[in-house]
Amino acid sequence: MAESAMRDYANSKGFHRQTLDRWLGWQPADQNALEEIAVGLKVSENHLREMMDWLEDIALRDDSNISAILKRPALCSIRTDPRLGRADKLRRIKEQLRRWRFPRLAALEESIRVKVQTLKLPAEIHLSVPPGLEGGRVHVTLSAGSQVEFEKLTHRLSDAASSGIIAEIFESLSGGTRENEPNPK
Amino acid sequence: MKNPKFDEVIVERGSESSPIYRNLRQTLAHLPFTIVDNLAPDRRPISGGDRFGAAKRTLYLARHKGDFLKKCPGSEGQVCCNYFVINFASNCPMDCSYCYLQEYLADNSALKVFSNVGDLIAETERTLARHRGVFFRIGTGEITDSLALEPYTGMVRELIPYFAGQPNVLLELKTKSDCVETLLDLDPKGRVVVGWSMNPQRVIDLDEHDTASLGERLNAARLCQEAGYRLGFHFDPMIEYPGWESDYESMLEQIFATIDWRKLSWLSLGVLRQTPGLKRTMRERYPRSSLLTGEQVLCPDGKLRYFQPLRVEMYRRMVRWIRRAAPTVKIYLCMESREVWKQVFGFAPSCEKELGNQMAPEIRQLIHA
Repeated sequence: MAESAMRDYANSKGFHRQTLDRWLGWQPADQNALEEIAVGLKVSENHLREMMDWLEDIALRDDSNISAILKRPALCSIRTDPRLGRADKLRRIKEQLRRWRFPRLAALEESIRVKVQTLKLPAEIHLSVPPGLEGGRVHVTLSAGSQVEFEKLTHRLSDAASSGIIAEIFESLSGGTRENEPNPK
Repeated sequence: MKNPKFDEVIVERGSESSPIYRNLRQTLAHLPFTIVDNLAPDRRPISGGDRFGAAKRTLYLARHKGDFLKKCPGSEGQVCCNYFVINFASNCPMDCSYCYLQEYLADNSALKVFSNVGDLIAETERTLARHRGVFFRIGTGEITDSLALEPYTGMVRELIPYFAGQPNVLLELKTKSDCVETLLDLDPKGRVVVGWSMNPQRVIDLDEHDTASLGERLNAARLCQEAGYRLGFHFDPMIEYPGWESDYESMLEQIFATIDWRKLSWLSLGVLRQTPGLKRTMRERYPRSSLLTGEQVLCPDGKLRYFQPLRVEMYRRMVRWIRRAAPTVKIYLCMESREVWKQVFGFAPSCEKELGNQMAPEIRQLIHA
């Protein structure tokens, strides 16, 4: 892909000069590999910048190159999946890149997601953790249409709270079991 | 540590009467000194485009026109330790790849030392005298290293006799250098803490360019302790990498084998943090630094940190290793949220004064006696 095509795409999307310069600063093979995804999925500047951040970091950490990362089978299968639309492909590609960029965080988030699933809470109770697990708090949303339903749901929540799984979730959010004594003095 | 490689000294007219000027003329006699009426920003072309790095080669001496004494800004929403800062210089001759000054001083990166020491002391005196019932912890290492320039400027040597005579203050000199020689024959009278930012030698080699080695820092700390100074150690920024645990644990063993922990004033812990803007600068100046690849997420105060469970685990391990050798030494977290405090220690200070008041309690008792 010629440099002019990248410039055309960046211009058509109104990219900042710095974003284009950064892209043009890559090796030609890396430029082209990202360009295929960017043009094919009409990636906006914010998404592209985030992908560039992650790709550069993954390449540095894994002593790899960006084109090789973008040619990994997991990404190719998303890009060629005929069941997925453009937006879904982009979302899944970004999710996969994020898993590679933050492998331990992603694994922890996934283990918490599985634990929440294990609770088999009704759809009226939504239990979630903050993005990046920052804050260490579990968020609970409960919606009820009557007092009876409200009571029923709070009982379900109470049962869940004493199941041990919730304790495991909090333990995951706080870096595992506390081994040191609590007082800093 | 490596000696700074200055090319020249530029002096603002009027600073020639300062003791700092006299010291510079003696210690940097081989360099050209230029007296100028106004310090204009240096816009000369820079080879390689690294203006921040190039700025470290010219030393400026000028009057500081604003306030010297300020409250440490801390970080929004994080537990603060009620610290004050005095800026007697701006920028640093060393060059850590994670240094926040790369962003903070990006538009004003001249390496400057302030000549009006008398004003600094007079301003501090006004504040300390007006609030004799308040205990102040004042640091000088916010936008410079407290001691890296000391062999040339003698700044700290000018300040210590004043602070040593004050009943309601502890002066902390934070450094990554081993430049303590000019301090050793002074009597700090218990009012001066020399604090070292500590990291394993591997981190120093990779990311703390031109600083003193771990061994040099420890040796300097031992000399200061023998000379009557209080000591502090700041494990900040802690860096997470494969094998960090054994490196940090053995560094702590080295420290406690060299230093009498009962004479430590405090230890602080903080993980690597940077704004997205600083990270962009790091990508430009240190594109191969592995610091760029840590699993950091954006926190509510706009800084990237290792994701919370990971850094809490790091803090807990450090606290455990420290406690093994120094059961009662004061440990605090720098720029962390109340949630993280609770997860690490089981409680969080109720307010910034509570944490500040826990520092050096024996001096506080003297004030209120």
